[in-house]
Amino acid sequence: MALDRRDFLTIGGLIAAGTALGSVGSAFSHTASGHEGHEAEPAVKRTGDRASSKNKWGMVIDIEKCGEGCDACVRACRKENNVPHFDDPKLDIHWIRKITFKQKGVPGAEERQMPAMCFHCEHPPCAHVCPVAATFKRADGIVLVDKHRCIGCRYCMIACPYKARSFVSMHVEPKPGDNRDVPVRMHGVVEKCNFCVHRIDSGEEPACVESCRKEGNGAMVFGDFNDRASKVSEMVRTSRARRIRPDLGCDPQVFYMGI
Amino acid sequence: MATKIKHTRIEGKSSAYLVFMIVAGALAALSPLSALYLFFEGHHVTSMTNQVPWGMPIVMAIYLIGASAGSLVLSAMSSVFGRAEYKPFSRMAALLAVLLIVAALMAIIMDWGRPDRILVPFFHFQPRSMFSLNAILYSLYMALGIVYLWAMFHNKEKLERLLGLCAVALAILVHSGTGAIFGFVYVRELYNSPLLPPSFIAAALSSGTALMIITLHYTFRFTGRKLDERHVHNLGKLMGVFILVVIYFIFIENVTRSYAPKNYEAASFLLLHGGKYTAYFWIGLVLMGLVVPAIIALNGATGKSVRWILAASWLQLAGVMLERYLIVIPAQILPLEFFPNKEITSGFLDGQFAEYSVSLLEWIYSLGLAGVVMFGYGLAIRLWPMVPTEAAYPEQLLKTN
Repeated sequence: MALDRRDFLTIGGLIAAGTALGSVGSAFSHTASGHEGHEAEPAVKRTGDRASSKNKWGMVIDIEKCGEGCDACVRACRKENNVPHFDDPKLDIHWIRKITFKQKGVPGAEERQMPAMCFHCEHPPCAHVCPVAATFKRADGIVLVDKHRCIGCRYCMIACPYKARSFVSMHVEPKPGDNRDVPVRMHGVVEKCNFCVHRIDSGEEPACVESCRKEGNGAMVFGDFNDRASKVSEMVRTSRARRIRPDLGCDPQVFYMGI
Repeated sequence: MATKIKHTRIEGKSSAYLVFMIVAGALAALSPLSALYLFFEGHHVTSMTNQVPWGMPIVMAIYLIGASAGSLVLSAMSSVFGRAEYKPFSRMAALLAVLLIVAALMAIIMDWGRPDRILVPFFHFQPRSMFSLNAILYSLYMALGIVYLWAMFHNKEKLERLLGLCAVALAILVHSGTGAIFGFVYVRELYNSPLLPPSFIAAALSSGTALMIITLHYTFRFTGRKLDERHVHNLGKLMGVFILVVIYFIFIENVTRSYAPKNYEAASFLLLHGGKYTAYFWIGLVLMGLVVPAIIALNGATGKSVRWILAASWLQLAGVMLERYLIVIPAQILPLEFFPNKEITSGFLDGQFAEYSVSLLEWIYSLGLAGVVMFGYGLAIRLWPMVPTEAAYPEQLLKTN
């Protein structure tokens, strides 16, 4: 059995080490403050250490700006996280997908689009049901899966209201062009969007957000909800940004404007 | 206990026994084989997908746990509730309970994407997860079942009564926990229900009794030992009453769900326009699995015929299997609702009804688990004195009847 453990630390491992030992010097860490002052703020402003409760990461997505037929975010995510194609829509892994929606029962209702990924809930049902706590919420609000601990029971997929999770139902070999900044994929475990935690930890924004700004229409904004001055905080404060299925009480950290 | 019951091992020399053991052994061998194939190939060889992550292995698991809990309660009827008429098959029922929980645990663990991480749940605990709690409950339950059997073998009556009492309590807890796996899932309308834990227990008792009737009948017939027919009549009646309780729970659950407009879609999918699921529900479960066996078992004439009661027991066993299937699967077939009153579509099949039909591998996997129970049972009654030489009906009960 090739367990694909050899090359990389898992994200979970990194986090465990990070939270246990505090700020561990690593190749990733550098400050992001140098980017400030430009318009459209290209990078993430982090107060405190990596995985610190001083930050609360989240996203605001303006549906009015989300372009029809644009899939820059999806492509960027697949590339960044080496998400494979299985050529079977039932088995394919999706960290982020474009959802098309329209009013039910209204003839000729306008179709609109939005990206959806893991919403990194404040009260994540996936983490609640995980029997081995392989899924957990990091101090900065990012919900992660420790793929070395996950037993592949798939209870989290049953519990997630947002269909954010995919099961790796076949072996995936690393390819030459793969991004080496992320851990190698492992079969038999559940995975999902992690807000590009490796990028956040090195002061960058998630790949989908970056590509939306550069190639798309800038519909996605990422930032720190604990920082009152951040753009996401301002957007939530001043617009009618909404969560998906707020009735469930999971409190997703991804908000949508213009639903 | 007025009459002393003598248990002996079976001889195991008949050709019928040999054939049974070969068939059961071959089936049992399918279990690890299918599990290995699943592990090395990955779940893409089954019908389980990202839309329907739980398939037949989970159906089998809860079915086997139910039958186990039902068996253990039956086993404890004599020692705990002082019902002498259950004494003759107390050991057999406890044996079945242990074998069924072993098979259930196999069903769960071999279906993990990473069964090689079998020890992980013992080192990482998540008190809010029903799976995590159940890992403890199931292990305790299995251990208790074994000690309880041991106490019965050594005629330690006081210990047997105490353990029997614990066993009943734990069986109820274990199966409530199993129902709660689904009942607690608040995002899926067809799962979320506080009735699932008690409803699971009712189905456990009815299917456990059905399995006991079948096991008793064939064990005594093939070993040439004498089984008083009144045992079968009595168990048949008990099964009939349990089935009525199951019907009651299913009725209440569905009318409650159907009442709220927000659940119209989910409720009507199961009850009206769910295609094969609706057919399974009405024809398979309600009619053939519940109503018909209840009528057979409780009707005066058929309720006194061993043949009829056997037929009712087989129907009930199949019915509860279908009930478990209808609990696990349809809730995953229904699309998750992102926005009320909006239609959604995506490349991830959002907003669409999912598809599932049991794959060949899942059938083999399930048959293998049945083989494990059969083989274990055949072996155990050969190795240990489980089966009474004669199952007479306690005479003092006849006067009151």
